[in-house]
Amino acid sequence: MDTFEFIEHTADIGIRVKAKTLEELFSFSAKSLFFIVIGDVSSKCHVTREIELEAGTIEDLLVVWLNELLSLFYTYGFFPSNPVIYIKQNPVKSLRAKIKGFRLNPYSMRLKQEVKAATYHNLKITKNSKGYVGEIIFDV
Amino acid sequence: MGYTGYLEKIADYKFRISEKYKSGMLTDGIIYADDKLIHSIKQDNALEQVANVAFLPGIVGSSLAMPDIHWGYGFPIGGVAATDPEESGVISPGGVGFDINCGVRLVKTDLSVKDVKDKLSKLLDRLYNDIPSGLGSKGDINISLKEEVKLLKKGAEWAVSRGMGVQQDLEFCEDGGAMQEAQPESVSQRALERGRFQVGTLGSGNHFLEVQVIQEIFEEDIAEKLGLEKGKVTLMIHSGSRGLGYQVCEDYSRLMVKSLPHTGIQIPDKQLACAFLNSKQAQDYIAAMGCAANYAWVNRQVLMHLMRRSFEKVFSSSWQSLGLELIYDIAHNIAKFEKHSVLGKEKTLCVHRKGATRALGPDNPLLPQEYKSTGQPVIIPGDMGTSSYLLVGRQEARETFSSACHGAGRIMSRKRAKAQGNLSELMREFDSRGIEVRAKGKKTLLEEAPWVYKDIDSVVDVVEKAGLSKKVCKMVPLGVVKG
Repeated sequence: MDTFEFIEHTADIGIRVKAKTLEELFSFSAKSLFFIVIGDVSSKCHVTREIELEAGTIEDLLVVWLNELLSLFYTYGFFPSNPVIYIKQNPVKSLRAKIKGFRLNPYSMRLKQEVKAATYHNLKITKNSKGYVGEIIFDV
Repeated sequence: MGYTGYLEKIADYKFRISEKYKSGMLTDGIIYADDKLIHSIKQDNALEQVANVAFLPGIVGSSLAMPDIHWGYGFPIGGVAATDPEESGVISPGGVGFDINCGVRLVKTDLSVKDVKDKLSKLLDRLYNDIPSGLGSKGDINISLKEEVKLLKKGAEWAVSRGMGVQQDLEFCEDGGAMQEAQPESVSQRALERGRFQVGTLGSGNHFLEVQVIQEIFEEDIAEKLGLEKGKVTLMIHSGSRGLGYQVCEDYSRLMVKSLPHTGIQIPDKQLACAFLNSKQAQDYIAAMGCAANYAWVNRQVLMHLMRRSFEKVFSSSWQSLGLELIYDIAHNIAKFEKHSVLGKEKTLCVHRKGATRALGPDNPLLPQEYKSTGQPVIIPGDMGTSSYLLVGRQEARETFSSACHGAGRIMSRKRAKAQGNLSELMREFDSRGIEVRAKGKKTLLEEAPWVYKDIDSVVDVVEKAGLSKKVCKMVPLGVVKG
């Protein structure tokens, strides 16, 4: 998986994600998260979910986005395969996503890593000449 | 990475970060450690987090850290902070954690090592098969949402009333296995759905079941009162509130982070997002956290019931005749309203324990009659493969609001543990110590190997020497079941 690299944390798991656009950063972060939880899985997408989220900052929005996906997976067995994301920064930080995915029962398969949630601790999104870099710590 | 900030030694087992270290700190940070442990503690960002907790409005006393402290998110793991509702005190979901009421229970038995040794493999296979464990594991107890709401209100009694335990079990749980503040209306539908299928599941990570033997007794009188003898077998269960707790924490962290700019609260880490104790948001969180805490007590009660049944099958005898009685069940991720003396005046405070154990001294009114003379049993699980301890609380532990450590405390990240660890070497080490292991994932074994933790003996020694609790006995593992 080339969308992220691990960063050091004593108890939990931290990742650094690089992308050209904010939308891509959110998409890569989601892919990275589910790679950590499950590994490589693919299936024909036969479910589509639409979600809208809001937060005070763009960094908070990233945490809210990832936790929403985790929650949908653990609660309804929805695996997000292909999200199309629109992010608005004004007047509030908000996200609208149409996510194609498939059903995957978290209770009937062997998961690689239980991730409890994405946290706000040491959360960063920085912009550079190549695009965006995000750092997220997950409670595991 | 690593702490290079202000730190001074103020007593043999106590270090201080002055409130002058960062502008905005409302009090000092106090860390209980010896010279060797503090060196290890300084290697990550935990001390910075001790300083950050000192920003919480209404904090009373100091921002405290137990000797097993390590880097967490928001609070350090091993952090304790009390806030005063009458002084604009706050509650922070990050000060409780995602696994609300993650905790430990210790069960005694009348069995000795020789009774168990020949049957250990069979027993571990049985436990491994009968007790759902592993990542995202699903339990055998299917309940409707309506029934789940009852469970969240009643706590461990819900399981006992369905034949999974006896009334006496409830007396030996912290808070009788139920927080009275629980109000299921404050729990989201998502959290209810997420928790519905996980009642009676162990989980993964550092959660485990252990068959242990008492190797050493430090306080004969107390051990006798608790019914514990050298050479007798004990059982330990470490688990929490599973997906329901994670979702409750996420729901309320999200709300509090969003509201933070409107409260005037200044904190250096958003994972410390909090709400004033007298606000509706705080009251709703306390009601939901209580439900998650109750879920965790049900979970550990069901796990103990399944463990008792496994023993009955293997030993062809009832659990009562095998003496499988609960010593105590403690929470180590929780916030609770407790009465403490502050400057000679009794006050009700909200005590956050994030990876810390309540440790009430003798004569405390919250203790069951049987423990009034001994103090509260304080259960400290060590790392897989070394040892665990039973201590009792001391009245002298006022400065920590009657709190002690909760484990050994990690020193190595999971990434490094897997990269540097050798599974064959680990299995040989278990073999050489006569420890049998059953695990769903071999990767988890490396992540939880003994060398990724601080030395439990040193951690517990500091707890005792600092006067926070008194050692009663040390247990070593015979068999471990991990998710």
